[in-house]
Amino acid sequence: MDERRRRFEAQVLPYLDAAYRFARWLARSPADAEDVVQEAMLRAYRGFDGLRGSDVKAWLLTIVRNCHSTALRQQHQRGVMVSLPEEDDSGAIPDLVATGLEPEGESIRRDEQLTLEGLIAALPHDYREVLVLREIEELSYREIAEATQVPIGTVMSRLARARLVLKKQWSAQAEGSLHAVP
Amino acid sequence: MQCPESLRVQAHFDREVDAVTAADIERHLEHCIECQELYQELKQLRVGMRGELPQFETPGALRTRIRRSLDREDAAAAPRSHRPGATKWRLPSFWAGAASGLAAGAMAAAVAFFFLVPLRTTSVTDELIGDHVTSLLSSRMIDVISTDQHTVKPWFAGHTDVSPVVADFKPQGYELIGGRVAYLEHQRAAVVVYRHGRHIINVFGWAATQRPIAGEKTRNGYHLVYWKAGDLQYCAVSDTSWGELHALVRLLQQLAARDARS
Repeated sequence: MDERRRRFEAQVLPYLDAAYRFARWLARSPADAEDVVQEAMLRAYRGFDGLRGSDVKAWLLTIVRNCHSTALRQQHQRGVMVSLPEEDDSGAIPDLVATGLEPEGESIRRDEQLTLEGLIAALPHDYREVLVLREIEELSYREIAEATQVPIGTVMSRLARARLVLKKQWSAQAEGSLHAVP
Repeated sequence: MQCPESLRVQAHFDREVDAVTAADIERHLEHCIECQELYQELKQLRVGMRGELPQFETPGALRTRIRRSLDREDAAAAPRSHRPGATKWRLPSFWAGAASGLAAGAMAAAVAFFFLVPLRTTSVTDELIGDHVTSLLSSRMIDVISTDQHTVKPWFAGHTDVSPVVADFKPQGYELIGGRVAYLEHQRAAVVVYRHGRHIINVFGWAATQRPIAGEKTRNGYHLVYWKAGDLQYCAVSDTSWGELHALVRLLQQLAARDARS
C-alpha cells in the first residue's frame, strides 16, 4: 500500500461510519445508501490531495450529499418517480400541516410513521438534511452552510423550521398514539 | 407570533455564539417565557434524536466493496506513475493449476498468515480497547476512587507523565468515579473513569506525538473518540451510544479550552 492510500485510510476512513449514517438518512433505502457511500469514498479518494486544512468529516459529508443528489437526478432522468430536493431558497416553505406526512418516493408504513425515525424520514429533504447534520453529525453552522451550499442565515432558518415542524409532529404523535393503536 | 430572539436562542443552544452574546441571550431567557419553552423543546428534541434513533452501523460488505474500489483505483493509477519495478505480479498458470488442487490447503494457510500478520502489530486503538476491556473485567478498574477532581488530579501528578482535564459532570449525567494509570504508547497514560447510567467511560490522556489522532472508530462494539487538546492526546472509550459519548467529549473539550484561556 502506498503512502497516499495509507494517509487516506488514516484520515478519511475513520469517518466512514458518519458517511454511512448520513447516507442512510438521505437515501430512501439501505441499498441506495451503500451505493452513494461507495461512490463518495471513491470521489473522496480521487480528490483527497485537494483537502487542505478543512474538517475531514464535514468535507466527506459534503461529498456524500453531492453523490446523493447526483444519484437522485439520475434516477429522475431514468423515470423513477422521486421528488427532487428544492434547489431554490425563495422562502417558499411547503405547507407541512396541509400535506401532512408525505414521504419522498415510496410510502412509509403507518407504524413506521409513528416513530421519531419515521417522522424524520418523512421530513422534506432540505429540512431532514440540515437537522441530521446538526443533531446527529454535530456539524457547525458554517460547516452545514458549506456542505449544503446555502448562506449561514438560511441554515439557521431551515434548522429552526425543521425543528419546529418535527417537534410539532412528534408531540402530536405522542398524543395521538393513545387512540391510534388498534 | 414567534419571539424575534428565537433564532439567537437557537444559536445559543447550538453553541454558535460568543460569550458576550451568550450572556445577552441568557438575560433574555430569564424573562421571556416563549424562549424558555423553545429552549426546552430544543433540548427534548436533541435528547430524542441522540437517544432514540437507530445507530446505523456500516455493513462489513460495504467496507469490503469500498476497499476493492480503492484497490481498482490504485491499480488504474499505477501504470501512469512510472514507478521502477512496479511491474504487475501475475500468478503463473502452473501455480494457478496447483492451487486448485492439492496445494490449495497450503495456499489458504499462506493467505491466512498473510492477512493475520498485520494484527500482531498493536495499534494504539488495540491498546486502548485492551485496557478498557481489561479494566471492566478486573477489579483494577480504578486506582484512586474519588468523585472529587481535587483528589484525582493530584494523584495523576504522582503516578503518570501527564495532567489531563478532570471534572465531575454529575449534573450532566457523567459522574466522575476515579482514575487509574495505563501504559500506552510507551508512556504512563492517565485514565479518568466516568460512569454514565450503567456504562463506564474511560477517558485516556497521554502526551501527543507529532501526529495527533483525531476522529472516531468502532471496534468490537466499543466506540472511540480521539481528539487533541493542548499538548495532550485524548481518547474516550465506551459502549455507550455515539451521542452520549460525544456529549462527554464536548464537556471535556470546553473545559480544556477554558483552562487554556485562564
